[in-house]
Formats: sequence, C-alpha cells, structure tokens
Amino acid sequence: MEMSLRDVGGLDKIAKQIRATCIQMSFDAKHGHLKSALSCVDLLVALYWQWLKVSPSTPFDNNRDRFYLSKGHACAALYAVLAARGFIKIDSLSTYARSGSSLPDHPCRHVLPIIEASSGSLGHCLGIAAGALYGLRLDNNPSRAVVLMSDGECNEGSVWEAAMFAAAQKLDRLLAIVDYNGLQATGRSDQIMGFTSLEEKFRSFGWASKSVNGNDISEILACIKSFPFEKGKPSVVIAKTISGYGVSFMEDDIVWHYRVPSNEDLENALGELGVEPLYKVNK
Amino acid sequence: MRKAFGDALYKLAEKNDRVIFLTGDLGFQVFDDFKNSFSTRYVNVGVAEVQLMCTAAGLALEGWRPIVYSIASFVTARSFEQVKISIAYPHLPVIIVGAGGGFTYSTSGPTHHSPEDLGLMSLLPGMTVVAPGCPEEVRELLPQLARINGPSYIRIGKFGEINYDVKEPVVIGKGRLLREGKKIAVLCTGDTALVALDAVMELRSENIIPYVYQFHTLKPLDVELLESLVGHISAFIIIEEHLPQGGLASSISQLLTGKRDSPVVVRLGVPDEFIIGNPTREELRKRLMIEKESVKKICRNVWNEF
Repeated sequence: MEMSLRDVGGLDKIAKQIRATCIQMSFDAKHGHLKSALSCVDLLVALYWQWLKVSPSTPFDNNRDRFYLSKGHACAALYAVLAARGFIKIDSLSTYARSGSSLPDHPCRHVLPIIEASSGSLGHCLGIAAGALYGLRLDNNPSRAVVLMSDGECNEGSVWEAAMFAAAQKLDRLLAIVDYNGLQATGRSDQIMGFTSLEEKFRSFGWASKSVNGNDISEILACIKSFPFEKGKPSVVIAKTISGYGVSFMEDDIVWHYRVPSNEDLENALGELGVEPLYKVNK
Repeated sequence: MRKAFGDALYKLAEKNDRVIFLTGDLGFQVFDDFKNSFSTRYVNVGVAEVQLMCTAAGLALEGWRPIVYSIASFVTARSFEQVKISIAYPHLPVIIVGAGGGFTYSTSGPTHHSPEDLGLMSLLPGMTVVAPGCPEEVRELLPQLARINGPSYIRIGKFGEINYDVKEPVVIGKGRLLREGKKIAVLCTGDTALVALDAVMELRSENIIPYVYQFHTLKPLDVELLESLVGHISAFIIIEEHLPQGGLASSISQLLTGKRDSPVVVRLGVPDEFIIGNPTREELRKRLMIEKESVKKICRNVWNEF
C-alpha cells in the first residue's frame, strides 16, 4: 500500500480523467449535480486506488471494506471510479441517468448490487454503516466501513443520531469523510446551518477528527493512513474541498448544482482538464 | 401480548443465532432474561428511533435478523422515512415491533396514540403488517414473520390480554374463523377480536349468530377468504382501533368496490381526528363503539335488516 510520489502523480491524472468522465456523463444525460461529483473525485480516487480493501474480481467478498456513498446525488463520480477500477463496464457509463440504467442518478442497489446501500435521501448511510459494523464486529469480521457524506448532509439530524450511536458503541472501524465543499443546493452551508466547526461537532460527539485538503490526494492518503485516529473511537475526516473542483468556471459556483454543461462548456472543461473521458461517445 | 412477545422473542433467539434485538430505550425489565442470555444480541440504541432503523438496516445487510422494538408511534411515524428508504426499499428482513398500538396509551395523549401505525406501514410496498389479538397469536405470528425474507410490522397491545378458545390455526396472511355464524360477519383486527367474541357470545341467547373472523394479518389481505364470503354474507361489521384511512375497513372496502353482491360494510373505529382530553381506554372505546354493548347493538340492527 506504500506509494511513491510518482504513484500519486499517476493518481492525479486518474482523478482528471474521472472528472472529464463525470462532465461527459452529465452532458450526455442532461443531468446536473456536477459540482457535488467533482468536489469528491480526489477522495474517491484515494480510497479506491490506495485504501479500500475491495476487488473487482470478488466484489461480494465478506471481508471487503464497505464503502457507502451517502451523498448519492454525486454518484457520477462513483460510477466513473467503479468503471475505471473494473467493477462495472466502462461502456455502461453512457447509460448514466437514463431510463432503465443500472447507473441511475441516485444509486440503487436493486440495479447495481455491488454497492452497499442505495442512497439519494441524505443522512441514511452513516447510520446504516454503523449498524453494519456492529454486526461485523459480532462476527469478528475485520472489515472497515467508509461513508462519504456532504457538508449539507450534516444538516440532517439523523447524522447526529448515527454519530452518537457509533461513538457509544466504540465503532473504531468506521471512517466518515465529509466532503466539505461549502455549498449546498441553494446556498453556502456555513450560512445556512451556522458557522461552527464540523470537526469540533464530531469531536464533541465522541469521534476522533482530522481536517485535510480534500482535493489533494497525497494529503488525503497521509491523513487516512493513521486510521483509526484513536483506538475505540470512530474517525471522521473533514475534507475541505472546492465544489466543481478541476474546472475553473465550475469551481465554487452554486449554479453547477443543477446546471447541465452546454456544448461549449463541455469543450472548455475537457480542454482545461487535458484528458479524454473514459468512454467514447456514440454520436 | 407483551409477555407473549418476550417469550416468543427469547425462543427465536435460542433457535436462530442471527436474531438480534434492538430497542429504542424501552421495555424496562421486560427483556432482562433476553439480555442476560444473549447479551451481545441485545442493543439499546437509545432514544433515537431514526438510528434504530438504520442500525437494523445495516445489521440486516450483513446477514442478521433484527427485531426492532419501541412504542408503536415512534417506530412507525417518527422514523417513517428510515423504514421506507433503509428497510422497505431494499426489502430487508427486519421485524418492527410497535408496542402499545392504537390507544393502548390513551391517557398519555396524542403524542402516544398510534391509530395510524397499521396504515403507515401498509403504505410501504413489500411490508407484511400484522395486528394479533391475543397472546397466542403473538406467539404464533412472530416465528412466521421471522421466516419472511422481507420487512414486517407487528402491533402488539399491552400486558394481560386473554387467549380466545379457537382451534383454527394462526397462519400469516389468512383470516381466522373465530365463530361460525350466519348471514352477517364481524371482522376484527388486533384485540378488537376479544370485544367481538364477548358481544357475539351474549347475542346467541337472542338467536343472533354472526360469524366472527379475525384478520390478524392486514397485509397481505386474505383476499381469497373475503371473496368466498361475498354472495352469502349480507353485511360486514368491521371493528378496528385505527383511523378510517389505511386500516382493515379501508382495505376491505377497496377490495369490494365494484363487486356484484358486495356486502354492506359497517365500520366501528376511530374517526379522522386527534383524540384530545386523555380519556381512559375504556371511556374512549365506549365513545368509538369498540365495546361489547355497542357491538351487540350494531349486530342486532344489521341482523334484523337482512
């Protein structure tokens, strides 16, 4: 699992390709949520290439690490990552958010059984992961669980019920990552639910917490290397990210929560990234 | 029924080491035996019903068979979205136990009333919904629910209900004939069966003999039985401690709509309103006509009309 600087350079390139793919998917499907997908790409790449014990050849192995995308609306990034890592077919990405697709615009376990839980309604997966870990621990199963959430999602009271439960049960194989991109659907998350530190909030709930630049893969990896941050406590990473990261005109701009890229946007975005999407478009 | 539930739960856990019990910080001393025998399979999630459901979902995803317990109103209304999204949508084998359904806690006021629990749970696709009427039905139904590979809800009453003396077996999804009769049928769910049996027993001396059926399973509804009654039964008297929406009467009425020779439906139940004033359950049931004398009166009237 140790990596050299060269590897991280490789991951950065992969992250760019995932971003290009998300933008292409959004363009093809005429479906938004790009800002939320782009902000968490580096987190997903760090997890899927370096950290999670998961394998495309044995996706249902009982000792796999469990990954939950709780911010389901950002699933374009997850699908692109799953395709790049060989969990799903690259061709399937062109069906994203289409009727009947196995890759709907909120992940559904009925059509994509390799995901741990369906998501879309915010604030469910942290609690589910905590329950799963409780059961895994009873079975002496060493698997870890990672939940990727959004900062807007932390508005949900259910997140804090889950946080209390996980701390009370000392679930130290649980890692929550908050993609703190600062923007939710209609405004800045700090303004909507108050200027208080998520790191302090989690800590006061009995968690061990760290903050990190969530758009820097080497920093992310250095941070989660020390997981669990404290024995006997669940861990949380507050990953400071930029929404729409990687494309200058999408960064930190709320319109990209819903906006679908135009032809020109697509061309400019792919030009800036300097890489091709993973899949070829059938015109 | 609570005692029967505790016993049945204990037996299930003895037989199946994947059965795990979750409580929302309720059932003080009721589950001490369980806790002592199966300490790792007893989880108090705290006064956090939303997390209660998510914990159950996570456990079920990892191959456990969670049985979730709290007051009916809290496991249905309060955590409805978690039941819908985390349990019903993935069709997970979780048994949700609502203690004190209907107006068991009538004096505690509307915060503790749950005349809508059966309807709420019935709204969710794939959910099995049962409301046993006596301890025996709890004992028989719980293991059957545990064999279903999907979610279920069971409303259980209080302590101390009596068993009714009936041979007909308790089979999930099947209406249960409690008393043979003629012309008209009293259809019950939950512990309204006890009221019906008392009333019907006394009516015999007046030569008024309605059938009595217990619908301990509200969903799936025993359509076959109901259809077999159409044609030779003139009226259904349905007794439910539930709102007009989503209970037994509404399900049956929906089924009968448009059917030729459909029986007349008379419903005794809860009106579409909050019950204010913290009445005792006896007072309230009198008001709602879910008590012996009212049922006798209605049966007499209906009997004489047909």
